[in-house]
Amino acid sequence: MASPTSIIPRLSTLLLGVLGVDLPAALVILLSLTIGLLMVMVFRYTSDQKAIRLAKNQLKAHLLAVRLFQDQLPVVLSSYGSILRCTGRYLQLAFKPLLIVALPLTFLIVQLDRYLGWTPLPPGQAFLLKARATSPDAVNELSLRLPPEMSTTAPAVHVPAENEVVWRVVAEKNGEYNVIIGVAGRTLAKRVVVSSGLSRISPIRLQGRFWQRIFVSGEPALPENSPVQSVEVGYPSREIKFMGFEWNWIWLFFLLSLVAGFVFKSVLRIEI
Amino acid sequence: MPNFARLAQRGSLKRLTSSIPPQSPVAWSNMITGMNAGGHGLFDFIHRDPKTLALYFSASRVEAPKHAIHLGSWVIPLGSGSAEQLRRGKAFWEILDEHGIPNSVFRIPANFPPVPAKGQTLSGMGTPDLRGTYGTFSFYTDDPTAATGAVEGGQVIPVQVENSRIIANLIGPDNTFRKGSPAATEPFSVAVDPMESAARIAVQGHEFVLREGEWSDWVKVEFQLIPFFGNVKGMCRFYLKQAHPRFQLYVSPVNIDPASPALPISTPSSYSRSLSEEAGEFYTQGIAEDTKALSDGVLDDKEFLEQSRTVLAEHRRIFDLQFPKFQKGVFFFYFSSLDLNSHMLWRLIDPEHPAYDATLSSQYGSVLQEFYQQMDQVLGEVLPKLDKHTTLLVLSDHGFAPYRRSFNLNTWLLNNGYITLKSDADPNNNEPLANVDWSKTRAYGLGLNGLYLNLHAREREGIVTPGAKADALLKEIREKLLAVRDPKNNLPVITRVDFAADVYQGPYAHDGPDALVGYNRGYRAGWKTILGAFPSDVLEDNTNPWSGDHCIDYALVPGVLLSNRNIAAEMPALTDIAPTILAEFGIVKPKNMMGQSVFQPNIARR
Repeated sequence: MASPTSIIPRLSTLLLGVLGVDLPAALVILLSLTIGLLMVMVFRYTSDQKAIRLAKNQLKAHLLAVRLFQDQLPVVLSSYGSILRCTGRYLQLAFKPLLIVALPLTFLIVQLDRYLGWTPLPPGQAFLLKARATSPDAVNELSLRLPPEMSTTAPAVHVPAENEVVWRVVAEKNGEYNVIIGVAGRTLAKRVVVSSGLSRISPIRLQGRFWQRIFVSGEPALPENSPVQSVEVGYPSREIKFMGFEWNWIWLFFLLSLVAGFVFKSVLRIEI
Repeated sequence: MPNFARLAQRGSLKRLTSSIPPQSPVAWSNMITGMNAGGHGLFDFIHRDPKTLALYFSASRVEAPKHAIHLGSWVIPLGSGSAEQLRRGKAFWEILDEHGIPNSVFRIPANFPPVPAKGQTLSGMGTPDLRGTYGTFSFYTDDPTAATGAVEGGQVIPVQVENSRIIANLIGPDNTFRKGSPAATEPFSVAVDPMESAARIAVQGHEFVLREGEWSDWVKVEFQLIPFFGNVKGMCRFYLKQAHPRFQLYVSPVNIDPASPALPISTPSSYSRSLSEEAGEFYTQGIAEDTKALSDGVLDDKEFLEQSRTVLAEHRRIFDLQFPKFQKGVFFFYFSSLDLNSHMLWRLIDPEHPAYDATLSSQYGSVLQEFYQQMDQVLGEVLPKLDKHTTLLVLSDHGFAPYRRSFNLNTWLLNNGYITLKSDADPNNNEPLANVDWSKTRAYGLGLNGLYLNLHAREREGIVTPGAKADALLKEIREKLLAVRDPKNNLPVITRVDFAADVYQGPYAHDGPDALVGYNRGYRAGWKTILGAFPSDVLEDNTNPWSGDHCIDYALVPGVLLSNRNIAAEMPALTDIAPTILAEFGIVKPKNMMGQSVFQPNIARR
């Protein structure tokens, strides 16, 4: 049986040939369609469909009244008031299901961003590795130890004004590596992914800051008392090619899932 | 050069008569249109408006919108600006298009903006940088002894290193949406390591580290003209010349980004983008080798060579990707390396040159050969792919000669009474010919070879009557110019003076200079006289690194023409190339084309 790693390049080739899109683009399209369908389904079962329908119908009726009785000022003013009231009612009815959809979606996007937000480092291409210290004194003590497959291609640049040291590093071949930052007799590891495929990327390893780590880091926190505040790898951001344009995957995902949601809503007769 | 030798042996090698004058825009326009300057209207790198004497680049004009509304410090244009090509006459590939012959034309000079074409074309020499110049570099330094401000080919910008950091601005195009059109700028920062010779540079969210003596890749920059609406995209390369003790950073001219061109540089317009996706970023400015930076001493020979080699590597990368796609029709590719490097490095192979340096010569004396060998390698890629139905033409638009001594034509005209200066001349006025008393001036020089009469009814304050008087004056000046001898070696400085009326045919024959000054080998018009200035000496040594040239007597710098077929013409000329290409496809050349196919038996040739 073919392993997943052997299937992915084949699938990518197939998608490239048939649809003219590469694997990341195909994944975004597939995810957008699936999430679009799931969103309208969740919306349907977590919302009061009858009440939403009624609120929307009332809204339409008052909008119609504004057009029909535009020469009768009291009616128009009354209809405007009703439109505001019905809009409020509609938003109230939509809020709970939207909240139920939005929370898991946010976390899903964060996780997907690990794969689709950045591209892994290509072998042979230099990248920047940055370590930020908690104090200016620690900057000169920061050191870097690399696995044998990696090497620096320039002297470290110390930036005292930013408590930062920057190394330019290159990896010879694909793989997942740990680079080691040494400071004051302690060592800290940062994962670096070198690959030409789709991989889980964590661009930064951070100290503390739970929510920031949730959203931008995919690695364990650096120790609280560490003199290193963060270690960051300069992964290239990924651009998804679709319809002749280059997209950040999140914008493409929002657009396609919205389109999919509207299509599925009509097909499944769901009130949104 | 084994491949060139093989081609010459199996086919033909002939001298190729260049244009009058043998300047690249003129020469390539001869090649493109099959006409001389009288037909295509390009006489020099620079032209002048006879009514205002304002100078402009001869090959193209980029103009801002004509009408605009002014709102405070903002200028709202009514309509769009334009880029206009000033070469007239049909390009040979336009005629091929009309006959359905596929064609691709890469980086041919004098084709900016590219003329509408069905095939893929990419503009070459004449393409400006994002600032609308032929290339303006920036040089950032904290050296207090450096002369800051505008230099010939760029700008030297003083910076301060504070806490190992430098904040400076990249200089972009003039912002015509702002009153007074100030240059658009984008900030960038440099963090220099306090001890090591390396720096981190950050531009618009893009960060990279450079060691001292290292070049960056292309860095894309967006200049904001109107917040949220109007951005112009460009790209540049950084070179950290020195980190300590003095900070010195060179930034290349900001090139038009081929992935998102601010001005038209290709046909179809999307082609430059697909080419950059395929081949990576590349210099889009017409003269990519930064000769001015070397002349201004901002780059040294080693640094210039590195940059120059990058240009050739980019061209070869594009060639290697595009040539294999050529199936039928015409494929043209222009390599600039031999031309620009011969200009800059001739002094390394010429012990008689005033700028010759034996040490530099021992280091880099073989570099020109290396560029020729690279051209031979390119030819080596082409030759095996030729079949018996395919014609190959390899040509240079001119040859080369040393440029050891400068002749200041305007100073000579002044000394000989043809120019009179105002009695209240302002020595600080650097405008071309600013101090000339036109009521007493009969002739003046502009451009590399141009001699103009101050002709009545043509010039703003013309005093020379057209006709017999003008002809007599021209003959008189010619006689005197041909008699000029260099006191240093008693050699004639000028070997020919051609009258426009004799050598130009076509609708624009009277729009250019009245006479073309052809300098002897070793001589050329001085840098300042070209722009209408009056240096004190008529003849002076050329100590500029720009040490080889071809803007002289055209008969002394013929180009070469090689083909895999027998060239029947005894003295083929550049104007024969377009008719040759058309004849290969059985297309009858238009009547205004002067030449004839070089493969046909010789008739009376120009």
